Amino acid sequence: MSEPISVGVNLDAFSHAISGIQALRSSVSRVFESLKDGMKNRETLEGREKKFISEFQDTLQAVNRDLNELERLSGLVGRPSESHPLHNSGLLSLDPVQDKTPLYSQLLQAYKWSNKLQYHAGLASSLLNQQSLKRSANQMGASAKRRPKVQPSTLVLPPQYVDDVISRVGRMFPDMTIELFRPNGTSAVLLVTLGKVLKAIVVMRSLFIDRTVVRGFNENVYSEDGKVRLTWAVKTNLPLCFCSGTLSVTDHATTALLHYQLPQMPDVVVRSFMTWLRSYIKLFQSSCQRCGRFLQDGLPPTWRDFRTLEAFHDTCRL
Amino acid sequence: MGVTCVCPVPVAEGKSVQQTVDILHKKLEQLGAVKQGSFCVDCETYQSTGNPGQPSKLLYVMHNSEVPLSCMALFEGGPCLTADANFDVLMVKLKSHFQNAKGHKVECRGSRYRYCDFLIKVGAVTMSSSARGISVEVEYCPCVVPGDCWNLMREFMQSFLGNNVPELPTVFAAKPEGLFAPADCVDTMTQYLELFNKLRKLQIPASNVR
Repeated sequence: MSEPISVGVNLDAFSHAISGIQALRSSVSRVFESLKDGMKNRETLEGREKKFISEFQDTLQAVNRDLNELERLSGLVGRPSESHPLHNSGLLSLDPVQDKTPLYSQLLQAYKWSNKLQYHAGLASSLLNQQSLKRSANQMGASAKRRPKVQPSTLVLPPQYVDDVISRVGRMFPDMTIELFRPNGTSAVLLVTLGKVLKAIVVMRSLFIDRTVVRGFNENVYSEDGKVRLTWAVKTNLPLCFCSGTLSVTDHATTALLHYQLPQMPDVVVRSFMTWLRSYIKLFQSSCQRCGRFLQDGLPPTWRDFRTLEAFHDTCRL
Repeated sequence: MGVTCVCPVPVAEGKSVQQTVDILHKKLEQLGAVKQGSFCVDCETYQSTGNPGQPSKLLYVMHNSEVPLSCMALFEGGPCLTADANFDVLMVKLKSHFQNAKGHKVECRGSRYRYCDFLIKVGAVTMSSSARGISVEVEYCPCVVPGDCWNLMREFMQSFLGNNVPELPTVFAAKPEGLFAPADCVDTMTQYLELFNKLRKLQIPASNVR
């Protein structure tokens, strides 16, 4: 840096502005504290309310005052000089036509913005990584530089193995029959018939459950060409307790397949999912464990707890 | 199509049949049901002029607006035939074997409501244009096994019928675990027939119908 720092920056005003910020912060936290503490004890309800409201108003006015003070102070501080620019990009600031092409100030703003974005993205990714919901085989992060790892073997399984696992699971439960189709390539599509209650269409990706649709027992699950139907338009005369989008059995089944996840042991996952699905055999016979009734807004208890398999209405399941 | 239950509802104290039907309609609308048109179930009686000496059997020919192109013919407690609408014409041609008892035609007309997965039909039963009673038909569409969902249906019927909830229909008692045959409405029509015969046997109530 060849030039000394210019006196465009008023150090005094800076320190005043910083203490102004501190004052504003404390008055804002005082507002929230008074809200948290609630109404203080007085004799009458009106007395309590009046005291609370007047306190609230006082704290808000303090915030207002501090904010105005801060605005005034920040006006005194002045803009940071752009005469000590960053290395080579500072050569951009030598362009005299500042108003038409404010390249350098825009550049500085872009840098500040991208720094903030990187910081926030780092925070977000650390929060999201706590709950790992990855269902693909790709590694995140720096693998673009490293050699891509070999895909985990659970994603590429021979179809015979998948057939064996499914038939084993099907034999476990006598009241559930599972038929396996392969309409499109190697992905299996299972048609699970549960007693006389429902039919579930489960689309798999090797041994991972990808998608599921649950329909009533007497609905036609085949399309015109004899294959199992995979897309279901929402019609107004189909049973609501099964249609997706109405917090129905289909929606809960989709939640279940996201819940039961073990990337290394997919056959355990399939077994747990089928055990959970089997609890629906008493869909119309069970009453909700919480409210004791059969119907809530006309729907039977469509939620089954993942651990205990108890029946709950969707609104009762907390 | 799912499990269907047909039951009679007693006429409210001091009110006419039509007024009670209107009260029930209002209760359903309060519950949140949506009106979806009207329905009609009717039943004609034919007497078989078969072999003399044998008691003549009564053949009932019924129509249901839910399946408008069909016609059901059944003997009480006996077999049931489902045919298309031309069966009525056939019965005319069989005049020599089956006499139409014209005064015995029973009709049930009313409004059709839909609430979530339930279809509810509340209608007034009329016999030769005199109102005899009220029938309520509740169908729970997703389920096909009557034994499974009977408690559920009871709870629903209680919400708008109050204490007039019926017992398990005899049709179900015979096969609680079996499939309710939805496609040909046999069980529904059997229940309607029972209801109509019960109302036929009642004397016209002297004070209530006004």
